[in-house]
Amino acid sequence: MGELKTSSPMASGEASVSSSGYQTAAVPVATLPPKKKRNLPGMPDPDAEVIALSPKTLLATNRFVCEICNKGFQRDQNLQLHRRGHNLPWKLRQRTTKEVRKRVYVCPEPSCVHHNPARALGDLTGIKKHFCRKHGEKKWKCERCSKKYAVQSDWKAHMKTCGTREYKCDCGTLFSRRDSFITHRAFCDALAEESARSQTLAVSTDVNNPNAKVVVASPPPPPLTPSTTVVSPALSIQSSELPENAIGLSPQTPKTTCLTTSTTTANTSCSSSNGNTTSTVFASIFAPSSAVVTQPPPPQTSSATSISSFPNLIPTLGRSHRTSTSTTALVPAVPIQLEPTSLSLSTSLYLSNNVGSSLFPTPPDHHDQHRHFALSPQPPAMSATALLQKAAQMGAAASNASLLCSFGLTTSSAATGKEHAATNTAVHWNSQIKPESGASATGLALGLGENSGLTDLVMRPSSLFGNQAPMTRDLLGLSIGGGGGESTGGLSALLNSFGGGGGFESSYGGEGQPERKPNGPALL
Amino acid sequence: MAPMFQDEGSSSVTSSPLQFFSMMSLSPGLGSPYPWLKELKSEERGLYLIHLLLTCANHVASGSLENANVALEQISQLATPDGDTMQRIAAYFTEALADRILKTWPGLHKALNSTRISLISEEILVRKVFFELFPFLKVAYVLTNQAITEAIEGEKMVHIIDLHASEPAQWVALLQVLSARPEGPPHLRITAVHRQKVVLDHMAHRLTEEAEKLDIPFQFNPVVSKFEDLDMEKLRVKTGEALVVSSVLQLHTLLASDDELLRKKSPLATKNLNGTHFSRVLQRNQSTLGDLLEKDLANGYSPSPDSASSSPLSPNASPKMDSFLNALWGLTPKVMIITEQDSNHNGSTLMERLLEALYSYAALFDCLESTVSRTPLERLKVEKMLFGEEIKNIISCEGAERKERHEKLDKWIQRLDSAGFANVHLSYYGMMQARELLQGYGCDGYKIREENGNVLICWQDRPLYSVSAWRCRK
Repeated sequence: MGELKTSSPMASGEASVSSSGYQTAAVPVATLPPKKKRNLPGMPDPDAEVIALSPKTLLATNRFVCEICNKGFQRDQNLQLHRRGHNLPWKLRQRTTKEVRKRVYVCPEPSCVHHNPARALGDLTGIKKHFCRKHGEKKWKCERCSKKYAVQSDWKAHMKTCGTREYKCDCGTLFSRRDSFITHRAFCDALAEESARSQTLAVSTDVNNPNAKVVVASPPPPPLTPSTTVVSPALSIQSSELPENAIGLSPQTPKTTCLTTSTTTANTSCSSSNGNTTSTVFASIFAPSSAVVTQPPPPQTSSATSISSFPNLIPTLGRSHRTSTSTTALVPAVPIQLEPTSLSLSTSLYLSNNVGSSLFPTPPDHHDQHRHFALSPQPPAMSATALLQKAAQMGAAASNASLLCSFGLTTSSAATGKEHAATNTAVHWNSQIKPESGASATGLALGLGENSGLTDLVMRPSSLFGNQAPMTRDLLGLSIGGGGGESTGGLSALLNSFGGGGGFESSYGGEGQPERKPNGPALL
Repeated sequence: MAPMFQDEGSSSVTSSPLQFFSMMSLSPGLGSPYPWLKELKSEERGLYLIHLLLTCANHVASGSLENANVALEQISQLATPDGDTMQRIAAYFTEALADRILKTWPGLHKALNSTRISLISEEILVRKVFFELFPFLKVAYVLTNQAITEAIEGEKMVHIIDLHASEPAQWVALLQVLSARPEGPPHLRITAVHRQKVVLDHMAHRLTEEAEKLDIPFQFNPVVSKFEDLDMEKLRVKTGEALVVSSVLQLHTLLASDDELLRKKSPLATKNLNGTHFSRVLQRNQSTLGDLLEKDLANGYSPSPDSASSSPLSPNASPKMDSFLNALWGLTPKVMIITEQDSNHNGSTLMERLLEALYSYAALFDCLESTVSRTPLERLKVEKMLFGEEIKNIISCEGAERKERHEKLDKWIQRLDSAGFANVHLSYYGMMQARELLQGYGCDGYKIREENGNVLICWQDRPLYSVSAWRCRK
């Protein structure tokens, strides 16, 4: 309704001006004319004149017609000016000096809420547009997204923004509005699944096929180098399958050649994700495409929308062999849904999907790819780094719990530094040591000299030896009970005295820390 | 990672929680029937593998072979070099641990390894594959070349010493850059050091061909020598030429010889690992007392309880490295670029090294998993012959044998600093080129991090390689 403001037909302009009692002479406030007083939409001025126009009048585009050449005009003024050209008598209507009552218009459609004078609309153009929009036939259609409009100005406005700013969720749904995109992303299942996977996989998700004439994505392909690199190898697989399958889609060939050339330059393919992503994305694809199928005339572009996600899957399928097989394996489901929508699909995107369907008969040649695909329902393998971190966290958690209670902590007063190791601790530990099942007892991590920050409880109980010479001597001088450790035997003997079988090892301290090892067989 | 301690510059500390992970009772116990292992899902299997690995390593470190054996048995049910990342890593680590155990019977070990064939062609191939599959060397070369180009601006005579010349691509690229210099290319001489003559021949051929094409006055001098035994005289450095030294992933091998020397020097070195000075020592040089202790324990040596202060070890106990660096310093290079692995695999104890290595090689294997599919033979070869061998060296070797003594960048900085070198910041332009290169790689796990003018090449926040440039400090 934004256009209403600007259109300002003479009538309404006059009306509002006169009704507000505007006087040309004195406007002390500003040079600009005061703004039109606008009533709340749908709640007209109570003393305004109500006008009910017929549908024919409302829909008529050019009410004023020149009798000479039959040219139509929306406004009488324009017609008059035109008549001048024919040397016909013309008369421009002046603005009537008398006050004009504000006019409001009602919609002729009885079922419409604006049929009620109490909800009349205040603008002629407005009521015209309203009638067209709500009760009229949608004659204008957007080429890109197949949205239909009854009012040409609406259509124009849409064309300005259609496809210029698009947000694409990882599940393949497109959004033109940022807010709806964000909301969707917050709840999108596919997205959640993807983020659950390890972050080391560089999965390209936002890929529009740069080569295909995609109905959906008219914006330039996103400048993500990785993704574009990724798409090419993947799609080239499709193209490489082409010759074997003899699809006979001639428009395909130029596209494939350019795809293959771009592949050769691509160094690496995208990280291999697994069939898992494929299956989930496919699930979301299947849903819309099946929905499309049920509509009698499936809109061409909407099916293309669902299909356009198809190549997005391909990058996630990783490199060559895997890709082909995965596509192969997955494709059986796709053609079933795509068949009915084949009618209007003229985009090369569809053709590429056709390629996909023709991959179907190709027997997969990589045995392990099958297995790989079969694993798709399972969560993908975590990277080794992630596994190690997880193990460390688990270990940390466990150590917190177990160590504190295992070891009677006595901070030694002998410890001059920040070490918490103490001879006392050592002795305590000696008596308390108990090998855990299947695992060694807690390591004898040494106290850490300069790592003063290591006041961690982990180190505390387990640090056996401080770094100070005096303590060392103390330890050595200790005749540790419970074992054959003699004071002269040094540390090795000391360690021998610890019970618990051969199960325990010495863990290490921080960096550069000396470590104690029990005197075992010559392994060290 | 969730570091539990304040780190003093090494990431080894972060792995100690892992240590405790190994003590959790994840499984019903070491004696349970194995079939259930096969049904584990990938993540659980991975965690279980880590657990088993650490347990096994603990047993190995403490000498309980029986338990280690049981752990190995279990691991072998799950680990495979064809599986997912964790399975592969576990396979190589257990092989290394088994190798270590086997060394307790030296005769057995030697006998089993006596008929091993090592094909040079395979080695060369693996190095080539490493160069191609990973961007690390390429980035290092880009940065090196940029540093060189900047340092020799205006020079007419340039002499480049490549201390481990295996990949001609580096110098080919430099030739191209130099030929495009506004003042024209300098007279270039490259002295390449390598163990294998074949490699040097190939490089000579390639480089002279390229120089001819670009019309650069060029001379190639091959020096067939082991890195540790390099004789500076052979390099034939002349006065009046701008000298450039490049060392890629080799310098750390010198630390191995140091270790051996130290052991020979002081066999009675204190068994007390607790002296304050010991911590001081270890701070500087990882490989000394710890390894000494291990070796002596291995020999059943029962030392006398010397007091800590009587250790003859000096704080900077790395004579071979020092003399090498001093010799280099004596050549007064205009710039020296050092590329090294940036991980602390030189810990004095097995567990330390194992934990560190787990993280580093996990990152490297993850790289491969993310960029290469599982089937190609090249990937398997790189994993086995390059990383597997490194892992085996780190885990099962000691003393002079253990050549893969990777250390973190700050250790190198200390070392080079005390040898009389001053750090030269790598240029922004070089880093930009490196980043572009990485972007072209198409995998966004690779990252470059700049730290005080030095560059760390990382995989997903884990630094793996470091590149730094140095000049002589007068």
